[in-house]
Amino acid sequence: MAEPTMILIVDDDPDIVEAMKVVLESRGYDVSTAASGAEGLKAVERSRPALVILDVMMETGDEGFAVARKLRAAEETANIPILMLTAIKDKTGVGFEKEAGNETWLPVDDYVEKPLKPGELIAKVEELLRSP
Amino acid sequence: MNPAVSDSLVRRVHWLVRIRWIAAVAVAVVTLTASRVLHVGVAVLPLYGISALLAGYNSLFLLYLRRAARRDSPATDRQIAGAANAQISIDLLVLGALIHFSGGVDNPFLLYFVFHMIIASILLSRRAAFLQALLATCVFAAVASLEYYGVLHHYCVDGPVSSGRHADPLFVVGIVFVLATTLYTSVYLASSIAAELRERDEKLDEANKLLIEQDCIKSEYVLRVTHDIKGHLSAISSCLEPVLEGVTGPVRPGQLNLIRRAGRRTEVLARFVKALLELTRMRLSEEIAAERFSVGDAAKDAVSYVEARAQAKSIAVDLRVADGPTDIVGARVYIEETIANLIANAVKYSPDGSRVRVTVEGTEDAVLVEVSDSGIGIPASELPAVFDEFYRASNARAVEREGTGLGLSMAKQVVERHGGQIGIESKEGRGTTVTLALPRRPSAEGRRVQTPRGLRSPQASGDAVPRA
Repeated sequence: MAEPTMILIVDDDPDIVEAMKVVLESRGYDVSTAASGAEGLKAVERSRPALVILDVMMETGDEGFAVARKLRAAEETANIPILMLTAIKDKTGVGFEKEAGNETWLPVDDYVEKPLKPGELIAKVEELLRSP
Repeated sequence: MNPAVSDSLVRRVHWLVRIRWIAAVAVAVVTLTASRVLHVGVAVLPLYGISALLAGYNSLFLLYLRRAARRDSPATDRQIAGAANAQISIDLLVLGALIHFSGGVDNPFLLYFVFHMIIASILLSRRAAFLQALLATCVFAAVASLEYYGVLHHYCVDGPVSSGRHADPLFVVGIVFVLATTLYTSVYLASSIAAELRERDEKLDEANKLLIEQDCIKSEYVLRVTHDIKGHLSAISSCLEPVLEGVTGPVRPGQLNLIRRAGRRTEVLARFVKALLELTRMRLSEEIAAERFSVGDAAKDAVSYVEARAQAKSIAVDLRVADGPTDIVGARVYIEETIANLIANAVKYSPDGSRVRVTVEGTEDAVLVEVSDSGIGIPASELPAVFDEFYRASNARAVEREGTGLGLSMAKQVVERHGGQIGIESKEGRGTTVTLALPRRPSAEGRRVQTPRGLRSPQASGDAVPRA
């Protein structure tokens, strides 16, 4: 690896950002962070990350989606894979795997749930970076 | 002017229709008795005619009410009140005819005008009731004066020879005056009481609405707080996990032990908060997304979610879906989750190697789901409380410390939102059976939502992740 792969984390929770950063950096990724959707968009503009990890809920309940749509709409950023951070399985004790696959209309490539599971995060990041 | 709210107005109008049936029968019976038994000189045929007329227009009015109740063209309060007003006017004319044919001014039945005034005062606005009193006075005055001037024949009630009072001007004027004052006083008294009752009704309604609103505000508060707590818990877990998995380097066993404990407790708390969030959200949501789906299929999926847990305890989950349709209209995700939760409960509180039975059966009106186990059961004294939020049976707490006490409240909420019912039977030490009855066609009642509109916080819609 000549130049480390750059990943951008957009999330307004500094502790979760820090945890993810630690996990990703342990795998040799170069991590930059943004605390809001607007900041995130600016950061993408500036540094063109190889992957964006995007929190759904920031200042507004669907800020993450708005950012994802904007990224997809612009030609230069349309191909950056997006990993969405959600609390999608927040129902009860029983998991609902079926639901996650259903949101085809959302312009993201994959989901990862909060709270963070390091193994899962790394697996998903690696998979997204591998696919063309 | 609408004197009353729709529901009670319609109820009262139906009441009026019922009274009129009685009146129609009573007129016929009294005529029969008077003519055949007492040999009073009344005009028999016209009186039977009046009885038939009463029954006739009562049927028509009942028909109108039924049509008005139909959903495609619901009548407004105004229309129903108008119809009630018209009915009472017709009633007064009929009573006028009745009095004429059964003795005119001599007729003691003229007191019956008071009944009409009371009914009008209850059913109509005060102004309309006074107008009815005016109409009644006019009708009676017309009968009396027409008989006085000999335009109408005077029928005698007291034998073949008339008392002649119908031709006595002082008597006629006097009786009209007494009747008029009686009627006006009746309307005044009855409508005063009716107005007071109506006001009390409205106040009760208002108080009730306020209570629901307060409950809603409380729920929203709970929602906000739990949402915040969940965020913090999520962050705690997210920070603990990398340490536990060694991402930050090796952790000494002593440290690992404590961090693991902290992690587990965080998870327990997170589960609890999630369940509370879900329950509160459901309570605040105005409508649940509804689709037609098979409860049998939902139960199959529910079993599959819990299979791993059952296998870990070598518990066999036996699903039997009876032949026949098991489809309902509702939110599949919630029903699936509810059934899965019930099975998970059964598994949790059953001995290793036992059996959990799940049956789904469709009837004409409802789909019945039964989950039964041969587990620890619930003490009889605690059974009534199991659907209460946060309640956990004493023996359940002994088996597992970490339950939320929200599972059954949530199941109840889900089932009730589908217009159904949930029941539980249990014997301590022998097992528990939970039964859900889900109506195939949910009534409007079942889906009605208690949440006043416009009170939802933005968070009420959840994490912005659309649900399937």
